[in-house]
Amino acid sequence: MIELLSKFTHRMADLLVNLAGAGLILMTAIVGWQVFGRFVLNASPSWSEQASLVLMIWYVCFAAAAGVREGFHIRIVALEEAVPPKLKHGMKLINEIVVGFCGIAMCIWGGELVLKTWSHVIPSLGLSRGLAYLGLPIAGFLIALFSLERIFEELHGDDVENEEDPRWN
Amino acid sequence: SFERKTLISADAHPADYPTVRAVEEMARLLNEYTKGEMKVKSFAGGQLGSERDTLEITSFGGIDFNRVNLAPLNAIEPLTGIASLPFLFKTTQHMRDTLDGEIGDAILASLEPHGLIGLCFYDSGERCFYNTRKPIRTPEDMKGMKIRVQNSDLYVSMIKALGADATPMALGEVYQSLIQGVIDGAENNWPSYENGRHFEAAPFYSLTRHVMTPEILVMSASRWNKLSSENQAHVKKAAKESVGFMRKLWDVRVIEAKERVLAAGVQANEVDDITQFSALMRPVWDKFVKTDQQKELMHAAIELGNSYD
Amino acid sequence: MELIVLVGALVFFLAIGVPVAFSLLAASMAAFFVLDIPMLVVFQRMAAGVSVFTLMAIPFFIFAGDLMYRSGIAERLVKVAEAALGRSRGGLGQVTVGASAMFGAVSGSAIASASAMGSTLVPLMEKKGYDSDYAVNVTVTSAIVGLLIPPSHNMIIYSAASGIGVSIGDMFLAGIVPGILTAALLMFVAWRVAVKRGYEKGSFPGMRAFLMAAVIAIPGLMAAIIIMGGILSGIFTATESSAIAVIYTIIIGTFVYRSLGWDLFIKAATQSVKITAMVLMIIGAATAFSYALAILEVPTQLANLITTAVDNPIIILLLINVILLLLGTFMDMSPLIVIMTPILLPVVQKIGVDPVHFGIIMMLNLGIGLVTPPVGSVLFVGAAVGKIPVERAVKTIWPFYGALLFALMVITFVPAVSLALPNAFK
Ligand code: NA
Ligand code: NA
Repeated sequence: MIELLSKFTHRMADLLVNLAGAGLILMTAIVGWQVFGRFVLNASPSWSEQASLVLMIWYVCFAAAAGVREGFHIRIVALEEAVPPKLKHGMKLINEIVVGFCGIAMCIWGGELVLKTWSHVIPSLGLSRGLAYLGLPIAGFLIALFSLERIFEELHGDDVENEEDPRWN
Repeated sequence: SFERKTLISADAHPADYPTVRAVEEMARLLNEYTKGEMKVKSFAGGQLGSERDTLEITSFGGIDFNRVNLAPLNAIEPLTGIASLPFLFKTTQHMRDTLDGEIGDAILASLEPHGLIGLCFYDSGERCFYNTRKPIRTPEDMKGMKIRVQNSDLYVSMIKALGADATPMALGEVYQSLIQGVIDGAENNWPSYENGRHFEAAPFYSLTRHVMTPEILVMSASRWNKLSSENQAHVKKAAKESVGFMRKLWDVRVIEAKERVLAAGVQANEVDDITQFSALMRPVWDKFVKTDQQKELMHAAIELGNSYD
Repeated sequence: MELIVLVGALVFFLAIGVPVAFSLLAASMAAFFVLDIPMLVVFQRMAAGVSVFTLMAIPFFIFAGDLMYRSGIAERLVKVAEAALGRSRGGLGQVTVGASAMFGAVSGSAIASASAMGSTLVPLMEKKGYDSDYAVNVTVTSAIVGLLIPPSHNMIIYSAASGIGVSIGDMFLAGIVPGILTAALLMFVAWRVAVKRGYEKGSFPGMRAFLMAAVIAIPGLMAAIIIMGGILSGIFTATESSAIAVIYTIIIGTFVYRSLGWDLFIKAATQSVKITAMVLMIIGAATAFSYALAILEVPTQLANLITTAVDNPIIILLLINVILLLLGTFMDMSPLIVIMTPILLPVVQKIGVDPVHFGIIMMLNLGIGLVTPPVGSVLFVGAAVGKIPVERAVKTIWPFYGALLFALMVITFVPAVSLALPNAFK
C-alpha cells in the first residue's frame, strides 16, 4: 500500500518538475517574443506580461510541491541536529504535519480563491483570474499527499529519499 | 473567530494624497455620525497590495473600505468601463456632473453582485500624453512613438487607434525605461507626472485630456450587510460628503504640481484640434461598448456632454 | 497578543525545522485567524507575491547561468579571469565582487545579480578550490552593492514614497561613492578571508596563453556585453535582459560551442525551476506574513517608539538603523521603503538629515536585510545556487556582514560620502 503510494508520488513529483521546467521554457519564449515584438516589429504584444505572470504562479506551485516530496525546501536544521534521536524523530513528525496542514489549507482556501475570482477577467489576456490561481489548490493537494507519505515513512522509521541530494542531479 | 472592531481601509496612493485624506475625512464624519461606534484605520501607499489585489481582498471581506481607480474594476464589471472611454468627457465639469448623477449611480449599483458596495467617486484628473521627443499637436506626431500604458486592452486599443505603439509596462519600470529609451512616452495626470518624477525624463507634456477615469470608494458587501440600516445610511452620507472635500484638495494639487513641473523646465502645449484625436476613437468605443446597458449609459453621457461645447 | 502569535509561531516552526516557506505560511494563517481576516487572503497574497514581473529575473538568470555552466561557457570565462588576476590570493573572490557590483549596477536588482553571478561564478570558484560557503558569502554580499550604484529601481520607489519630490537624479549620483566604498570594503574582506583560509595563489600563464583563453571565450564574453549594452541602449529592460541571456546562451551553446544537447537543456530547466520555487515560495509566503505585520501596524509603531523616546540625533539615527535592520530581517525591501519612508523622513528631516542622504542610508540598510535570515531572498538564492544549507553560509558570513555594517555606519554619520557628488553637480 505504502509502496504503491510511494511509486505514485515519485512519478507525480517527476511529472510536476517536468511541467514546471516546460513552464520556464515557455516563459523564456514569451518574454523573448515581447522584446522582439517591441524592438523589431514595433508592436508590443499586450498579452505577454500577464501570460508569463500566470505561468510563474503555476510553475512555482508545481515545483514547490515536488520540493516537499524531494525535501529540497530551505529549512533550519541546527536544532534538529543538536537534540537526541528520539526528540529529532518527534520534531520531524511535527514538521511534516505542519507542511501537510499547509497543503490542506492551500487546497481548501486556494480552491475558494479560484471559485471567487472565476468571473473576473485577466486584462489583456481574456482568461479567468481564477485560472491563474488554479495551480494553488492542485499543488496544495499534492503537498498534502506528499507529506502524508513522509509521515508514514517517518513512522516506519526509514528515510524518505535516500538518493543523493535530489536537487543536483 | 474574533470579530474585527476597527475597520480597515486601503489606498494605493501615498499618505498625503487627496484620495487618502478624503477617505480619512469620510472616516472622521462616520465616527462622528455613529457617535464613535464605527472606527476606520487607513493603510495608504499600497501597503496592503496593488489595487487589483486589494479589490479582490475587499470582495472577500478582508478589507472594509477600498479606494481604487475605476480601471481595475473593468475586469470585474464591464459597466464600469463606460467612465474610462477615451475622449468621452469634454471637460472635468462634464465628468463630475456625469458621475454625480444617474449615470454614476448606475455604475455604483452595478458592483453589488460582485461583493462590493460602490460609495462615491473621486477625481483622478485629466490624463495627457508626455514624451521624451517633441510636443504632440496632432495624432500624426504620435506615429511610431512607443507609449507606455497600464495593462489594459482599452488603453492598448486607444494608442493603436492614434497610430502609436502601445507598450504595457508596470509603473515602477517607466522612469528607467524613459531614460534608456525603451519607451518614448507615457500618459498621466499632472500630479502623477510630478510624483513619479517622469518629468525629469520626458519633458514634453501635451494636453490631450484623453481619459478622465475617476477614482472610486467601495466597501466590502460582507461588512456592509452586517451594518444596521442607520449605519449604512451614515456610511453613504459620510462618503458623499467627502467628495467635495476631495475635489478642493485635488484642484489645489493639480495647480501646484503643474507650477512645479513647469518651473523645472517642462514644455506643455495644447493640441491643435481635439476632434482630430476623438474622431479616431469610434472603433475603440465600438469594441468595448457591447451590451445594451453599456450603450444606454454611454449615450446618456454623450448627450450630457453636448452642453459643454 | 496578535503580534505574539505571529512572531511566536514563526520562531517555533523555524526552530523545529519546518521549511522557511511553510513556517511563514503557517504563522500567517495563525495570525489571520486571530485578526479575523478571511483565510483565502493568505493564499491571494502568496500568489501576488510570486507573480511580480521583476522577479522573473530569478528563474531566467539562474537558467542562463546553469546553461553556461553545463555547456562549458562559464569555465572558459573563468580561465580568462584567472589568467588575468591569477597572481593574487583569492583573486576570484575579488573578481566576483567587481563583477557583481557592475552587474548589479546595470540591472538595478540585487536578486538578479545574485542569480546571474551566483549561478555562474559559485560553481567555478568551487572548482578552483574555494569553499562553497566563501563563494556564496562573496556573491550575496556584493550583490547588495548594485542597489547603491545607479540605476536602481528601489531609489525610484523611495523618491515616489518620499512625497516631497526627492530627485531621482540626485539619488543616483549620491549612491555612487557609497557603492564604491562598500565594494572596496567587501573586496578587502574577501582578500583577508582568502589569505586566512590559504586559498591557492594562481600563476600568470603568460601573454600568449591569456590571449588564447580570451579568444576562445569571446562568445561567452559577448553575453555580458549584449546584456549590459542592451539595457543601456534601451533595447530591453533589465528584467527582459534575463530572458535574452537565456536565449543567447542556448544559441551559442548549441551552435557555436556545440556542447549543449537536449538532455542538458532539460536538466538545466528543471534544475532552475527547483531553485526558483525554493526562493519564490519563501517570497510569496513572506508577502502574506508582511500583510499581517502591516495590519498590526508593526512598522509604524516601531517608528513612533523612537520619535517619542529620544531627541539626540545620533541616537535617533542609530535606532532607525536598528529598526530598519530588524524589519529587514522579516520583510522585503520595496514594501518596507513604501511603508517606512513617509514615517521616518519627517523625523530625520527635523534633526537636519538631507532626504537624499537618508535615502542612501535606507538603500544599504534594507539591502543588508536581503542577506540576513530568516527572510533574505538574496541569501537564499546564493545558498541555493551554491548548493549549501543557509546556516552553513551564515556561519562564516560575519566578516562580510562586518564590512556592510561598517559601510552603513560611515554612510550614516558622514553625509559627505553621499552628498558630495550631487552637490558638486548643482
Ligand atoms: Na543599480
Ligand atoms: Na532578511
